[in-house]
Amino acid sequence: MILLADDDPVFLESVAAVLRPRYDVRTVANGREALIAVDDDPPDLVILDVMMDHMSEGFDVARTLRSAEETSLIPIIILTGVDRVYNVRMEVDESWIPADHYLGKPVAPDELLRKVAALVGPGAAGSP
Amino acid sequence: MIRTEPTPRRPGDAGRGRETGQGPVGDDGRDHTSYLFSWELHGRLLWFANLRWAAVVGLAAAALAGPAVGMPSTNPSLAVVAALVAVYNLGFIYLLRYRLGPESAYGDLRTAAILQMVTDLAALFVTVHFTGGCASPVLPFVVFHMAIGTIMIETRSMYLLACAACGAAAGLFVLEHLGVLVRYPSAAGGVSTVATCGLSTAMLVGLVFGVVYLTDSVTSRFKARNVELHQITTELQRSLAEREAVERRKSHYMRISAHQLRSPLGTIKTSIQVLLDGYLDPGSAEGRRLLEGTAARVDSLLAIVNDLLELAKMREGRVKAPWARNVSVNQILADIFDAQDTFASEAGVELVPRFIQEGAAVLDWAVPPDLVYAFENLIHNAIKYSKPGGGTVTVGLAVDHERATVVVADQGIGIPDGLHEDVFLEFVRAPNAKHAAAEGTGLGLSIAREAVAMHGGEIVLQSAEGVGTTVTVVLPLHRVPPELSAP
Repeated sequence: MILLADDDPVFLESVAAVLRPRYDVRTVANGREALIAVDDDPPDLVILDVMMDHMSEGFDVARTLRSAEETSLIPIIILTGVDRVYNVRMEVDESWIPADHYLGKPVAPDELLRKVAALVGPGAAGSP
Repeated sequence: MIRTEPTPRRPGDAGRGRETGQGPVGDDGRDHTSYLFSWELHGRLLWFANLRWAAVVGLAAAALAGPAVGMPSTNPSLAVVAALVAVYNLGFIYLLRYRLGPESAYGDLRTAAILQMVTDLAALFVTVHFTGGCASPVLPFVVFHMAIGTIMIETRSMYLLACAACGAAAGLFVLEHLGVLVRYPSAAGGVSTVATCGLSTAMLVGLVFGVVYLTDSVTSRFKARNVELHQITTELQRSLAEREAVERRKSHYMRISAHQLRSPLGTIKTSIQVLLDGYLDPGSAEGRRLLEGTAARVDSLLAIVNDLLELAKMREGRVKAPWARNVSVNQILADIFDAQDTFASEAGVELVPRFIQEGAAVLDWAVPPDLVYAFENLIHNAIKYSKPGGGTVTVGLAVDHERATVVVADQGIGIPDGLHEDVFLEFVRAPNAKHAAAEGTGLGLSIAREAVAMHGGEIVLQSAEGVGTTVTVVLPLHRVPPELSAP
């Protein structure tokens, strides 16, 4: 199961539409709901937007997940629509954020599927 | 918001402040000019202390050479004076290096300066006594000391010291001539008569006061200029800091604006790509829902762009805006009530007009569209952020001779503590507001504040989360922009 957290319902719907044919997808609207969902049913992968209710909410959630023993191994993809400098910084040093991958917004569906497949396998319908 | 600026001072004022050793007091309560002068005075005192070693060497040399030029009284008396000067000079240097720093109080440094002058003059008069009294070749050094003293410390103290020096000289010469003190021969040979001594004393008095007066005339201009330069530099630094703050704010504003535009664009592009790549059929119910959501994002993008333009227009100044004279606030509020009535009904909110005081609020000058935008935004927000199920939104208007006060009070979700000022910043929306209403550019209150400020008014917000928000707008009735009020 993949947990998707973003405060934009249209964006959530788009990304979910890409993933749903191959994976179980659960969507939440903010970081607090994401942590509750992880606690409720640990997912195989968490995809987090950075800016939700607060400026760095996605990072905060990612750090919380990484710091807890039972959730520290859950793969994380960070989504962000922030500026290019920010992206370059992440490309140079991905360890700067506690995530396995990052994806810039807008999201290219094929690239999203590739990164997801690299972390949790190709899903129900085989290789994307 | 009222900012307090220090009152500008004329250079002359500053100069006078310096003369008494009490400069203008800055807005942090610190005496900046005294601070400036303390720094300089400390440097000059150290310089003078170093120069004093030359006097020590000169005195020691005079003690040795004096007998050879007909002044046997210089040995060992001047050697003792040299030793005393060396000892107190070491004391002064210690004081200046380890006890009194450049940032010490001006008064403390001035006391040290006067003390140095007095000890120097005492040493000098002892030297004068042993080198011929009023015929002594070292008598001109009294004048030299006065010049240096006037450069270092303020004029009033120097005139007092000049009086003391002249009195000491006169007293010394009188005591010598009365035979109370021994009269030693000068280098020229022999001893002075009463007449020549009186003439020397008169010349000394004239020279001492003349030098203090002339030195002060020259240095006071430099002192005044120095203070003026210090004030100008301070003003420039403040102005530069303000400019840098404005530039940073502009840059931040541009970055935030770009991000706010990019965010819906990212969603739109992703949605279109999902549809184009065939992950969803645009004809299916899901596809259609995504298209509708995308169209809503385009609308929000347009709303942001429109609000940004509105804000930019206001910030550029509205001299060419569609202004009007005698604008009725009552009428503007009545029109907004009509326009918002449907929205309020749909939200289950009752709009209550409450005019605290009878009478029409008429502004001498206003830009009606901007005022409409401001009040419409405040009333629209009050309705939009009412609690589910409705409530009341009360709009009050009070008028006195000087101002109109509009109060928009709701019983809505309120604004969390700590965000009451931030919600006036561009793109800042409280988290509970985002949950309550998805749409919203985060620019409405910024524009409202800009519009109110443009009319010379102010906007104040009081709110308690979960209880409601009250926004008060105060507008002056008789404000007309200066460019329009000129006859």
